[in-house]
Amino acid sequence: MLNRLNALPRDARDTLFLLAVIAWIVMPQVNHLPIWCTALAAAVLAWRGWLAVAGRPLPSLGWRLALLAVTLGATLWSHRTLLGRDAGVTLIVVLLTLKTLELRARRDAFVIFFLGFFTMLTNFFFSQSLLTAAAMLVALLGLLTALVNAHLVVGRPPLTTALKTASWMALLGAPIMAVLFVLFPRIAPLWGIPSDAMSGRSGLSATMQVGHIASLALDGSVAMRIKFDGAPPPQSVLYFRGPVLSRFDGREWLPPAVRPGQRELPANLNVLGPPVNYEVTLEPSNRPWLFVLDATAQPPRLPGFELRQTPHLQWLTNRPLTDIVRYGASSHPDFRYGPTRASGAALIALRDDVALPAGYNPRTIELAAELRRDPALAAAPAPVLVQAVLQRLRTGGYRYTLDPGVSGQHSADEFWFDRREGFCEHIASAFVILMRALDVPARVVTGYQGGEVNSVDGFWTLRQSDAHAWAEVWVDGTGWTRVDPTGAVSPGRIGTFQRLQAPQGVIATALVTLSPDLLARLRASWEAVNNSWNQWVLNYTQSKQLNLLKNLGFETPSWEDLARLLMGIVVLASLVGAAWTLWERTQHDPWLRLLARARRKLAAAGVAVPAQAPPRELARLAGQSLEPGPQTLALQHWLLQLEQQRYAPAAAKAAARQRLAALRREFRQLAWPHS
Amino acid sequence: MSAAPGWSAGPSSEGPSPAGAGSSTVARPGRLRARFQRWFQSRLPLSDTITLTQRNVYILPSRPGLMLGATLLVLLVASINYQLNLGYLLTFLLAGSGVVAMHVCHGTLRGLRMHLLMPEPTYARATTTLEIQLTNERRTARRSIAVSVLGTGHWTWTDVPAQGNTRLQVAFQPGQRGRHPVPALTAETRYPLGTFRVWTVWRPAATVVVYPAPEARPPALPPGEPRAGGAHAASAQSTGEFDGVRAYRRGDPRKLVLWKKLAKADELISRDSQQAQRHELWLDFDQAGLPGKEARLSRLCAWVLAADRLGVDYGLRLPGVQLKPTSGAAHRLACLEALALC
Repeated sequence: MLNRLNALPRDARDTLFLLAVIAWIVMPQVNHLPIWCTALAAAVLAWRGWLAVAGRPLPSLGWRLALLAVTLGATLWSHRTLLGRDAGVTLIVVLLTLKTLELRARRDAFVIFFLGFFTMLTNFFFSQSLLTAAAMLVALLGLLTALVNAHLVVGRPPLTTALKTASWMALLGAPIMAVLFVLFPRIAPLWGIPSDAMSGRSGLSATMQVGHIASLALDGSVAMRIKFDGAPPPQSVLYFRGPVLSRFDGREWLPPAVRPGQRELPANLNVLGPPVNYEVTLEPSNRPWLFVLDATAQPPRLPGFELRQTPHLQWLTNRPLTDIVRYGASSHPDFRYGPTRASGAALIALRDDVALPAGYNPRTIELAAELRRDPALAAAPAPVLVQAVLQRLRTGGYRYTLDPGVSGQHSADEFWFDRREGFCEHIASAFVILMRALDVPARVVTGYQGGEVNSVDGFWTLRQSDAHAWAEVWVDGTGWTRVDPTGAVSPGRIGTFQRLQAPQGVIATALVTLSPDLLARLRASWEAVNNSWNQWVLNYTQSKQLNLLKNLGFETPSWEDLARLLMGIVVLASLVGAAWTLWERTQHDPWLRLLARARRKLAAAGVAVPAQAPPRELARLAGQSLEPGPQTLALQHWLLQLEQQRYAPAAAKAAARQRLAALRREFRQLAWPHS
Repeated sequence: MSAAPGWSAGPSSEGPSPAGAGSSTVARPGRLRARFQRWFQSRLPLSDTITLTQRNVYILPSRPGLMLGATLLVLLVASINYQLNLGYLLTFLLAGSGVVAMHVCHGTLRGLRMHLLMPEPTYARATTTLEIQLTNERRTARRSIAVSVLGTGHWTWTDVPAQGNTRLQVAFQPGQRGRHPVPALTAETRYPLGTFRVWTVWRPAATVVVYPAPEARPPALPPGEPRAGGAHAASAQSTGEFDGVRAYRRGDPRKLVLWKKLAKADELISRDSQQAQRHELWLDFDQAGLPGKEARLSRLCAWVLAADRLGVDYGLRLPGVQLKPTSGAAHRLACLEALALC
């Protein structure tokens, strides 16, 4: 294969290499491109490769224009627009591949290179993981290699020559990259970005339609990472609160409506016991939600944002989180909140939390009435009713499943009576509906629960698959109390953190068979590396930049200081460069320098010495024009010694250096004549 | 010597040629530029060997370099707008590589030594070559260096191996006869990324002698003249055309055989010793039979070459210069030089 590649004419070989690099750049995007785009790109690249190998002429202008028109039409059809991020990515990929069909002048080649660099960037819209970074580093080296190779005009140098140069350039460019990356001021987006910019990111949504969280259950991407100061709290209290949903329209759970003129009730939070301190690294969600462990009385420490707490204990930022953020927080797992007595404004507010839409879930309402007919429950307080319902969940043959199927109109009825299985959101939703039917104020809370600890670096990782929905029930005298009905159905989901595992691939299965631990350990190491990548690279934000400046001694750092520092480094680098140039221009072979000194001494003594005279010639000239005597003889002897040091085969480098040092000492002791 | 050399420029890619510079038809900016270039070149020292340093290596971004700059800007704006830290990394790594490439590009010429080998005399309007030796003392090779006569755009590409040297020939076409300084040379490189153009301009000190262009279809050699003071002067006049050679006859002495002719044409030809004794061939400026000095010199040049091919003795008579009849390579060169410098 390699031999055949080497046997190709240079043009064909270079073209194939460039096509391979382009394919490598486009490959990671395949999942995000329309099918036709992937197919077209592959076909065009293959066609171009065949043309290169077969030595055929490139397609005519008509062909290319037709292809361009088709792709523009197809893009419009796929995305309904030619603007915006996703359509732009499709267009760039198509243009890049089509441009390979048109290589008439040098300019065309450059257009391909620069489009290639841009296509590399579009990969980062979808993933900024370590793997993507590694793949794009390879791609960058590939493009640079192709570019260098295009400028190796003479002969048919092997690609490794160009690769070596490109690697060196990238390696030497890396310090420049590091300095710029650290110091280039991070500024806010220059203009609004299209709304589809974040569509590639999944996560909790602001509303809960039954079935939504289940779609996250297979999403292994990381939602956040937690580093606890000291021992982590028991796993059963690791509830990270997200949106609280208290309005049910029959199909969907919605956030509480704020009626105009109605004052929101205060959260009325009382914390008990010692706090748990921790630091959260939150992946971008494009939502203004900060997830914290229940419950946080003090605002999380997140500079650059304005934070506020809703009456439902959720923390919000003043703008959506489009970037990884890191914040510290302290939580008290033991807390009380909400109104303790149903009176006044609280009564009105609590009435919203027992509302059910008419015409939905008649059998569940009937079930509630049936429960109320039970004398033991007829006038029972909320905790007793909760226990009764949980008991029903435990013993009624209900199952926890990742694949609950599609719900019809009466989702709670289906859960309680027909399917008897569901994911946490089905269970929570059905539970809350039943509680409301029992006239107990209840609502759904979404967020993340559980997570797993990484044994390598001690970080807790919460994935999208850890998204969870639970319930809150209002208890007279206590306030809002957390109830997790999923725990009643599947204690493992909450207690020991064994999530339902999605089916694994062949390799993973083989690994598990080989060594049950290995996969976990590999995964832990990988997560740790990935986490440091996130901490140091992706999470490098303006606040970190300013912190760095603070550590460097700036008292009130601003982005102007960053610019100043950057300029300073540029000036310093230029000075070092200038100094190096000066040094390079002077003679820096020590032997030549010594010879030049001797030449200057002789010239000062009136000997006419040519600029390039070797030591022996100098000795001869000295003998001619200086007065004969022991001094002159010593001089001549020294010069011949100098010659010998340079040209006699030296035993070792060290010995030669010592000899030169000795000659330098003798030079100072010699009596140089003056004219 | 002091006259501006009349190098004809080929299709020029960069800058106008010195030859056309003085013409009044050139647009004003072009004229200013040409004047600037003349002034600039006149400041360059004359030397047959040049070592390139910061002082005589120039660098400017090329068009693809500006394109790369625009690409970097777009990448940066995209990284800012989409808040892509990895995008910043890509942009800055590309920028860093670009900066390194700039230094590599400049370093390709900086420190290079160029030496012009003694140029051979040549004929006007004939394409000839200058031979240049490039010496690289660095431990790494210098790649993709192009050399040409300034303004012609006929580039010769070469790599110079590490701590070695390489020779290359650049084509040029002298326009006028005479002794001229070798035209200014230029070396250029865009290696490794093509984003910068690094070049130097070098004026060698050597001169080149340009003979007149030989006439394409010259008439036959002029008739011989009777030897001065010879008894047969009158009859020689009547023999008409100079006929210094004839077919070989048996018994001709060996020294009369034109061995060169044998080698070339595979026929035996002898000098006509009688003719040679009685007549001598003079190539005379006044007898060239053409109006115009240059045309006459061209014809004389063609005659000199023809006579030399025949191997006969010939003399050259020019205004103020006279070369006695003889033959041989040295004589030919002397005659051609006399024609060139006349």
